[in-house]
Amino acid sequence: MLPYRILNRIVLINIANVKYTDIELNGNTCFVGANNYGKTSLQRAILFFYSANSRALGISSSQKPFEEHYFRYDNSYIIYEVNTETSPFFVMVYRHNKLVFRFVDSEYNPDFFFNENNEALKFREVLAKLDQRNIFYSNQIDTFEKYRNILYGTETDPKLNKFFLLRGNEKYQNIPKSITNVFLSSKNSIDSRFIKDFIASAISNETDAILLENIERQLRQFSEKYQDIETFLKKETQQLIELIEQKYDQVQTLKTTQLEAAEKLGSTLRYADTQHNILLNTIQEKENKIQQLKEEFEAFKYASEEKIKDLREQIGFYDGMLREAQRKLDIYKEKNIDEIISKHNEKQQLESRYQVLQKEYEALTSNVQNIEVQYQSLLNEVRNEIQSVTNKINAQITEIINHYNELILLQKEEQNKRENSLKQQLQSTIFSLDQEINQKQTELSQLKSEERISSSIQPYEKEIKQLELEITELKTKIYTGKSELAIRQNQADSLQKEWQNIEKQLQQKFEQITLNIQKQIEQLKKEIAQIDEKLNIQENAFYGFLEKNVPNWHLSFGKILNEDILFKNDLNPQLVDTNSPTIFGVKIDLDKLQIVSKSIEQYQTEKIQKLNQIKELENQFIQEQQNIQNEKILNADKYGKQIAEIKEDIKVTLYAIELAEKKERKLIVELEEWKTKAAKETDASLQTIREKIAMIEEEIAILKKRKQLTETEFETQIQNTIAKSNQQIQHLKQQQQKEIEQLEVQRKNTIKELKDKEDKLIAEKQNIFQNKGVDNKKIQEIQKQLSELQEQISEIQQYQNLINDYLKDKRDLFDNIPLYKQKKEEFVTENKNILQQIEEETKKHNLERLEIQKQKKELEETLYQFNQGILFFQNNFKETPVYKHYAQIIENAEPKPSNFSITDLCTQLLKNESYFNEEYTQFQRYINEYAGKFRMDNHFGFFIRHDASFNEYEKFAQNLRSFINENRIEVSITETSALATMIIDSIAIKVKELSGQKDKIQHIISLLAEDFKKAEFEESKLIEYIKIRLEESDNKIYKLLKKIQEFRDEHGIVFNEGLFSSNQNAPKKPLSLQIIRMLDQLRTAIKEQEQQEIRLQDLFELKFNIKEGLNETGWTHRIDSIGSTGTDILVKAIIYITLLHVFIKESSVKTNKKFKVHCIIDEVGQISAHYLKELLRFAKSRDIVMINGLPNKSGLESHYKYTYQFKKEDDGTVRIFPSIVTEVEV
Amino acid sequence: MKIEDLELPKQTHEIFNILARGHFISSNGTKDGMGRLYDILNDPVNFEKLQDYFNVLRYKIEKGNNYFYFSKLNEPPSITEKKLETFEKYIDIIDLFASLDNKITIGSRFRPSEIAEECNANVRLKQKLAKIPLYRSENFLNKIREICDMLTRDSFLELEDENTETYKVLDAYSYLLDIINAITIFGQPNYSENTNDNLSDNIDININPN
Repeated sequence: MLPYRILNRIVLINIANVKYTDIELNGNTCFVGANNYGKTSLQRAILFFYSANSRALGISSSQKPFEEHYFRYDNSYIIYEVNTETSPFFVMVYRHNKLVFRFVDSEYNPDFFFNENNEALKFREVLAKLDQRNIFYSNQIDTFEKYRNILYGTETDPKLNKFFLLRGNEKYQNIPKSITNVFLSSKNSIDSRFIKDFIASAISNETDAILLENIERQLRQFSEKYQDIETFLKKETQQLIELIEQKYDQVQTLKTTQLEAAEKLGSTLRYADTQHNILLNTIQEKENKIQQLKEEFEAFKYASEEKIKDLREQIGFYDGMLREAQRKLDIYKEKNIDEIISKHNEKQQLESRYQVLQKEYEALTSNVQNIEVQYQSLLNEVRNEIQSVTNKINAQITEIINHYNELILLQKEEQNKRENSLKQQLQSTIFSLDQEINQKQTELSQLKSEERISSSIQPYEKEIKQLELEITELKTKIYTGKSELAIRQNQADSLQKEWQNIEKQLQQKFEQITLNIQKQIEQLKKEIAQIDEKLNIQENAFYGFLEKNVPNWHLSFGKILNEDILFKNDLNPQLVDTNSPTIFGVKIDLDKLQIVSKSIEQYQTEKIQKLNQIKELENQFIQEQQNIQNEKILNADKYGKQIAEIKEDIKVTLYAIELAEKKERKLIVELEEWKTKAAKETDASLQTIREKIAMIEEEIAILKKRKQLTETEFETQIQNTIAKSNQQIQHLKQQQQKEIEQLEVQRKNTIKELKDKEDKLIAEKQNIFQNKGVDNKKIQEIQKQLSELQEQISEIQQYQNLINDYLKDKRDLFDNIPLYKQKKEEFVTENKNILQQIEEETKKHNLERLEIQKQKKELEETLYQFNQGILFFQNNFKETPVYKHYAQIIENAEPKPSNFSITDLCTQLLKNESYFNEEYTQFQRYINEYAGKFRMDNHFGFFIRHDASFNEYEKFAQNLRSFINENRIEVSITETSALATMIIDSIAIKVKELSGQKDKIQHIISLLAEDFKKAEFEESKLIEYIKIRLEESDNKIYKLLKKIQEFRDEHGIVFNEGLFSSNQNAPKKPLSLQIIRMLDQLRTAIKEQEQQEIRLQDLFELKFNIKEGLNETGWTHRIDSIGSTGTDILVKAIIYITLLHVFIKESSVKTNKKFKVHCIIDEVGQISAHYLKELLRFAKSRDIVMINGLPNKSGLESHYKYTYQFKKEDDGTVRIFPSIVTEVEV
Repeated sequence: MKIEDLELPKQTHEIFNILARGHFISSNGTKDGMGRLYDILNDPVNFEKLQDYFNVLRYKIEKGNNYFYFSKLNEPPSITEKKLETFEKYIDIIDLFASLDNKITIGSRFRPSEIAEECNANVRLKQKLAKIPLYRSENFLNKIREICDMLTRDSFLELEDENTETYKVLDAYSYLLDIINAITIFGQPNYSENTNDNLSDNIDININPN
């Protein structure tokens, strides 16, 4: 039994081409065999014991993996037997889906694995056998990590913690790594870079590298984003954005206008189609209505005129009657009819008196009857003659009167005729004038009605009202928009403040966490340092003494010792009586005390735990940093989005307000235009009407004047005629009077003669009577009276006809005058009423006619417009590309009336389309130019295809607008800043983490240098010295990384304010630019260097100086050729062994349990025996056992404790068997 | 003043190398840090310094709409004439580009195959393309490629993506358009449609200045 732990043996059962082999390894071992015989495979199997990493065995990717090549069968096993101070244990490795391990608390015994027929058992059978023998074996260990923990003594499971090869510390992973590295690199030439790699990979994990690929990717992302943002923020780009926005609005407006116009055109065309017949019918209806109205009116007018005619006749009749009555009354009055009548009334009385007087006379004259009769007869004759003369003269006078009367009458008739003719002429003229005036009056009334209608009808009333309504709505909208804007602005401000507060809180929280973690880490580091100190000094301290010399001291003596005493190194402990269970002769019951001292393992575990805690804290720090960053990004996202949304809303609202205001202004202008247009049209129509009215009024005035003049003229003419007539009548009357006077004179003379004769007779008679005695006086008196009466009666008798006529006239005419007057009055009133009615009806008719005519005219106009429009559309529009562009909209539009004509709409569409094309081309140009400023795959997504459609350009502009409105650039800046911060933080952390290991390197290098110094080369005198030293790295990438880390440490995070600030004087701008430059340089360096990662070895440079004989290499990276090949191999092996030794020393805990490990170097065939001897001795002094390969037996094998030969059997299997050699004592 | 005192930007050499070859530096160029060089030139302080510096070398930096180029000081008219002759080849190309349905403007990205397809489908374009004298004339695509190569060489285009053969039209392209607009054909009425700038009055020709 050896007093140390070592891999004692390796047994292969059905492994690769080897059926079975059992190889002892507790001394320097050499495998001799030709190439491809399995030497390296066996060495890998040995290496697997240490590394338990099937992927780090140097198997190339073209070869089968370890598991498949080695463990081909269910009963393939590799068994590693480990020697301990007490009894050996072994590890069996087999494949149960994957490779698994079991630790068996027993030395290896082939019986466990084979049955009676020497057939290898399956693992369950093996376990059954172990069970049968009551041998403890561990549960299946299916992770390499756990296996290594157990093997390197860090497993805490009490059942397993005895199966260790050595007690490793937290760096125990370096041991398998170092063994692996020696094996894998033994074929390479000696280069300091390899040593560097070796050291670095030994003390660092695979993950302890800065993956440049990731950094390059992140840097590329950052650089691209930065470039995108920078491009975006450029003045020219911003100008282009403005232009795009402007053009987009214009294009949109034009497009909308075009679409609306197309829609309107379609609607109007459809409407025109549907309305054509309707309009024609309606026009016909209107025409009929007008005709009907005309007919009705004509009928009414005719009836009324007939009535008027009747009435006029009646009036004329009664007027004539009244005039006749008046004329007659005048004549009678002229004839003193009243006096005549009164005289006529006295006629009877006079006649009675006459008879009385006649009788009295007769009585008186009865005596002189004869004379009387005689004289009476004579007198009668005279009287008769007088009478006859009178009558004759009267007759002549009457004749003259009649003649003149006739002449006068004729004159009067003529006068009347003339007057009538004149009057008729006048009447006719006046009538025609009246008619003309009436017509003008009617026209005037019509025009006045029209004027009233026109002034009451406001043109474009609908449009104006619509516009006024729209303006009111817009005003409301603007007001609401402004209120909303104020609210939104407040919201945005509040959110901004809230965001800033949260950012501040997060920063404070992060700083707090950082402080806490740093404190904890410092505390832990302090504690680790204390443990390290204890572990470092324990060997020379009282603790070490107890460990070495007093078994189980923890359970006895240790219970009363505190750590201060235990780790004192000046106590000079000595073993006096190990068997006495007393303390300075005093015995106490130690069972009552608890164990206070800790074992090395406990310290080690504690240290590992604390290191783990530090790692956890560091991870926690990174996590927290990440969390804070994430939270910041989340907040940026959340608040940025919210603020952006609000800002978007604000912009949208602003835009809406602006649009509304623009529209309002436009509408106000439009309204004014409409109003002006309406006023102009009203004025124009009223002007015409008013002009017409004025003209007609003037005409009426002229006509009236003409009427008046005519009347005056006629009146003058009549008056002249009357005057002339009167003159003639007067003349006639004068002639009549003259003639009558002549006749009267004649009569008077004749009557005087006759009267004289009568008087003579009477006087003769009276003389006779007197002579006869008759009272002559009395008789004379009676006669006088009779004569007077006779005269009076004659006079009355003369007027009898007149009276009769008068009475007749009175009865027929004069008594009826009031009735006639009344009747006339009635008829006049009626006539007046009818005239009024006619006037009203005319007015009404005219209005109605006018209205219908107007409607008809409008309809005709509409129809005309429709027809013209359709014609225009067919001839000038349908063949154009504009129609094709909007054909679908035009053809599918619903029929609807429109204020615009088809021609106007077509013209507008054509005109606007060319304008639209111009604008669109510019819009397209701006977008191309804008998108061209950015990278093709820019992170904003600003990309437009060459053959992009209008919709794509439109979408681009919409996206751009959303981008601006949502202020996504801010989010992008935040993200990019966060990305930069993250990259820099990540670089700083990684560089720090990696640089943190530089101390370890320094430590290792000093250990190596020390170990080289200790090496005893004096005996061989081959190598005088091997020196090693550390220098600063000249790796460009690392230098830049380091610079970034230093910058980060010095300045902290610099981007929050300065990264994209356009202000060059912004406080952090220069720093931002500096770090961005560094990042850029780093990216370029990574690209140029084509390096995948920065590992620990890139942090430093290693140089050797080796002196062999008289040859000194000087301080160099590479040791190409120190001497002969053998010397090179020797030096290389020495360096490896030294490295291995140093790492084992560094990675294990010093306990009383000794151990040895193997150094596997495959090809040492070219080394001389002398050198080999030297080498083995060098290894032995460092508790390292060598395993080497030799191609053939050359005598070198004699220096190894075990030599195994490899032989290929006929069946292809390899047999490994020990070679009988004599070991030369090293 | 010594050159060192000018504190020239460190990219001066790079800028000179590009401009002195008769090439342009466009703001939307991405290859070889062209955008960055443009920014440097666009900085008034740098511009002044570089102008002074290059004037010594008898070069003058001319600023176009988002691009820069060199013109030679006191260039004899014969050289200008020669340049104009050289310019002839661009006229047909620009005419072709301007006749495309999807017009090629600054910042446009296109593939030669797209243009070749359009030319194939349009007799007018076919004729225009046939008119352009080129060496490779096997098919339209190759002709267009040759045109693109030439324009790229002269820094009017940039091959932005080699995989998809996507070209981008650089800002310097507007120089060509400006020159075309500045051409007045004698005997023809001079339509003053060029409202762009005053290039028609006094333009510095930059066609292979060397």
